[in-house]
Amino acid sequence: MTAPAPDAPPTGEPRPFAARAERITKIYGSGDTRVTALDEVSVAFPAGEFAAVMGPSGSGKSTLMHCMAGLDEVTEGTVWIGDQDISQLNDRRLTRMRRRRVGFIFQAFNLVPTLNARENITLPSDLASVTMDREWFNQVVETLGLTDRLKHRPSQLSGGQQQRVAAARALAARPDLIFADEPTGNLDSTASGELLDFLAAAVRDFGQTIVMVTHDATAAARADRIVFLADGRIVSEMTDPTPERVLDHIKDLER
Amino acid sequence: MFRSSLKSLWAYRARMSLTLMAIILGVGLISGVYVYSDTISRGFNEIFEESFSGVDIVVRTESDFTFGEGVFISEADFDRLTSVPGVQRAYPSLAGLGVSLLDREGEVVGVQGTPTFTSNLTEGDTAGFVIDQGAYPSGPDEVALDRETAVAEGFQIGEPITLISEQLGRMEPVLVGTAGLADIDGLGSRWILFDLPVAQQSLGRQGMVSGGNVYVEPGTPVEDVIAAMTPLLPPNAAALSGQQAAEAQAAELQENLGFFTTFLTVFGYIALFVGAFLIYNTFRIVVSQRTRDLALLRALGAGKAQVMTMVLLESLLLGVIGSLLGIAFGVLIAVGLQAGLGAIGLTFPSTSLVIAARTVVVGLTAGALVTVGSSLAPARRASRVSIMAALNEDGVPAARRSLLRRAAGGGAITAAGAGAAWLGLFGGGGLGLSAVVWVGIGVGIVFLGMFILSPLFAEPITSLLGWILERTGMAGKLARRNAMRSPRRTAATAGAVMISITLVALASTMSGSLRATIDEVLADDVEADVIITSANQFDPTAGFSAGLADRIRQLPQVGEITRLQVAPVRTFSVRETAAGPEENINDHNIASIEDNFTLFLPPESSAGTLLPGPGEVVMEESIAADNGWEIGGEATLRFEQAGQRTFTLVGTAAGPAWNGLISISRPQWADLFASSSDSQIYIQAAPGVSPENLKSAIEALPIVEELATVSVQTEEDLQTQAEEGINQLLNLILALLGVTVIIGMLGVTNTMALSVFERTREIGLLRAVGLDRPAARWMVRMEAVIVSVFGCLLGVGLGVLFGWAIVRSLRDVGVTTFLIPWTPASWSVSSLLGSLLFWVAATAVLGVAFASYPARRAAKLKVVEAIARL
Repeated sequence: MTAPAPDAPPTGEPRPFAARAERITKIYGSGDTRVTALDEVSVAFPAGEFAAVMGPSGSGKSTLMHCMAGLDEVTEGTVWIGDQDISQLNDRRLTRMRRRRVGFIFQAFNLVPTLNARENITLPSDLASVTMDREWFNQVVETLGLTDRLKHRPSQLSGGQQQRVAAARALAARPDLIFADEPTGNLDSTASGELLDFLAAAVRDFGQTIVMVTHDATAAARADRIVFLADGRIVSEMTDPTPERVLDHIKDLER
Repeated sequence: MFRSSLKSLWAYRARMSLTLMAIILGVGLISGVYVYSDTISRGFNEIFEESFSGVDIVVRTESDFTFGEGVFISEADFDRLTSVPGVQRAYPSLAGLGVSLLDREGEVVGVQGTPTFTSNLTEGDTAGFVIDQGAYPSGPDEVALDRETAVAEGFQIGEPITLISEQLGRMEPVLVGTAGLADIDGLGSRWILFDLPVAQQSLGRQGMVSGGNVYVEPGTPVEDVIAAMTPLLPPNAAALSGQQAAEAQAAELQENLGFFTTFLTVFGYIALFVGAFLIYNTFRIVVSQRTRDLALLRALGAGKAQVMTMVLLESLLLGVIGSLLGIAFGVLIAVGLQAGLGAIGLTFPSTSLVIAARTVVVGLTAGALVTVGSSLAPARRASRVSIMAALNEDGVPAARRSLLRRAAGGGAITAAGAGAAWLGLFGGGGLGLSAVVWVGIGVGIVFLGMFILSPLFAEPITSLLGWILERTGMAGKLARRNAMRSPRRTAATAGAVMISITLVALASTMSGSLRATIDEVLADDVEADVIITSANQFDPTAGFSAGLADRIRQLPQVGEITRLQVAPVRTFSVRETAAGPEENINDHNIASIEDNFTLFLPPESSAGTLLPGPGEVVMEESIAADNGWEIGGEATLRFEQAGQRTFTLVGTAAGPAWNGLISISRPQWADLFASSSDSQIYIQAAPGVSPENLKSAIEALPIVEELATVSVQTEEDLQTQAEEGINQLLNLILALLGVTVIIGMLGVTNTMALSVFERTREIGLLRAVGLDRPAARWMVRMEAVIVSVFGCLLGVGLGVLFGWAIVRSLRDVGVTTFLIPWTPASWSVSSLLGSLLFWVAATAVLGVAFASYPARRAAKLKVVEAIARL
């Protein structure tokens, strides 16, 4: 399989990649229990893109995300965040890289229960012992409507608010890219819409790069581009998706 | 069900191994003490049996003074006694303390620890010591030693050895033989054996014996001879059959050793008690980890009772396995005790180790009961698991419930305990219990109350401790929040640490106060530059011949000098109580004093004269008050040998130096005691002479060198010596408490492991957003530090409080200074161990060490798996 060509940036100028994978393979287990989760996948996410990764359960979409975010090691192949090859980094360097360059939004259990909203948002910077840009912090918090929730513990926040705190945390550190793993999976449609609006705005207004793993067609349709995975391979992709096209395409793929 | 219990024990073996360790340590300590004391007892019993084997009748004297010099009968009485019809032959014997043996370097053998006895050996007496090499000693130039001592010191038959007799001074008889009790090795004491006249002279008991062995004519019933002797027996003497004598001696020994073994056993039970917390926590953890499995079992149709039985069966199995291993470990502890106590001079007769059925039964029962008992609550919890909730549970602990009821209950119990302690301290007791008992009960109840209250302190104290660690960065901050998250668990974990550190702090505070009291008394209340005592600390009546003081008096460096003879005595009075007249008998020391005595031990206050004449006595004010004696009235004293005597009380004095002191005149002493030895000499230097100079001048005297048992010390030396003595005891206690501290710390390991397990996803998240491995490790370690130090601080607080209460209640027996030993008094290891700040630091370090395993687990978590875990 050849590397799919990245979308041309809207401005017409060549943009650097926020993250790139070249022929990465991920194999779990060995012998009879050997499972190939990713099979020589090559993919690139240009800076400033809102990309979605879709695929049925077991297609390897979460594994792809974990490998590209430096959470998991690839068995073979190379992963770059920006222009840094992260495949050879040891745990310490990898952790530092994640701290500075990658933001995360998970489906659930996104927040440290003993820390309040503000502390959760500043957690990556605190871990890196850097002071957060106050203006930026305020802007993010305000945009997400969390200004009067900063002192609250996660258990005192609604599911939507918790996900927005997670989004604020991901954004506040100004990472090279944000990985969102089913960020709306546990939310009702209103909360889910609000979160997606915010993610889209972050890409549009702040030039943030976001890669979102989802199986929700409506959510995926908010992305600039969708990459479809099946059986550990990229099978197709779609630019400027709409929910209808996404659903149709999924049906096609299942056929 | 048994199979499934076994399987689940195996499945949770890592967690269970901590529990097992707690049981092994606790049961090990208990059974170790039993094995040790049984071994000592058997050793002594063998000695007693051998001592009296073949003897028909034993004449012995019986003293009810525990630490006295023994009582004696006259040789004439013994001869009269043994001239009754039916006696074939009789051998009078004498045994006592008062002669020291010098080794080849001229040092006294066995200054501390087990004693050196002096006795006589007569050919023909086939019981007890029999010469097995060489000849029987005869006359002042011949001596025999027990076989072991001769071998240990490398003395050969035919060479002269050096002895110091309090009465005769330096002696250099030839070693003519070695004696043994059949083939028994490991007597635990040393024996110097003369013929009877020399033994009497060297002990200052001319014409006296302490009993003897009697053999009857063949065919004469022993009972008849005893019956004939009975009317002739002097007071304090008894005639027993050989068998009875062995049994009586064994019984007396048990009584004397009883305190010692009880003391050791108590530590075993404390260790097991602390272990109970760990066991309880472990089962709670294992149950919570298995909530899902257990719920599945319930869903598949297992009844509540079945689930509970399963968990209890597991704990029983674990208890039995742990106890058996513990008993085996106990044998090692017994060997360790033998070696450890032997190293500080406490050698006892040794035989092969005795593992009595009682040891196994008690060890098994205690271990199994504690294990099953501690798992009752978790087992109940397991059986009540809500099936649906459990199947969905995500491992986050339940929100904490109100602590209000806890505060009320714990507060009430603590107050009740404090009340009881107060009654003991300031109300003098009541309900027929002594003040000390009240304080003890009160302290115990306060302990329980504090234990219930401790979760309330968990939040503020851990918050404060965490605040300090938070300065070190994010890992510290997270550790602080985690420790505060579940105050109950933090408190339960810290509780085990608290108990052991309370006892450590109590021991340290008491020993610190004791040391401070001695320092203060020496510094403020004793006006002497040099004090001379006997180096032979084991013998309470040890002394030296009166010639020593006379010689020292002639030194130009000496200003004032005074001599004391000291011996135990009992006060006797009858007081009227509501229940009728009650005898009031108390142990004190009596001293003969000279006219210048008050120059050296000035009282803080006094009444009457402090210089008793013939038939007169002076005593500490509180002793007189306790007996209702008034100046000018009568006072009754009981002496070990001289019996009951009545004196006129002519004066009283108060002050630390007079604590427990009763004094009579020197001429009076000779009427009451056979020994004329001086026990203490107090010396003030002449003007311009320093204590050190005075000391060296005295030490340079030939007589001092000759009497190797004389210890010449400045006040500073005495302070050091007292400190060493106290530290030795403290170290023994701390060594035993060390086991409980370790068990408490194992509990920390356990809780941290649970903490890591429960927070797998949280740790995964933290790792994802940038917590690196070292920080994850330190997060767990610092939480452990917070929990351990929290427990330590509670323990130090309680220990100091208890220490204060007990020291306060001991004021009447002379502990007047209360000292909290925060910092070490010196840089010796034992001072360090006796300081409280050391223990705070130590628990912090131990917290880091004992959290290593869970910390490593946390750091090694695979981020992706941890996040994905449901």
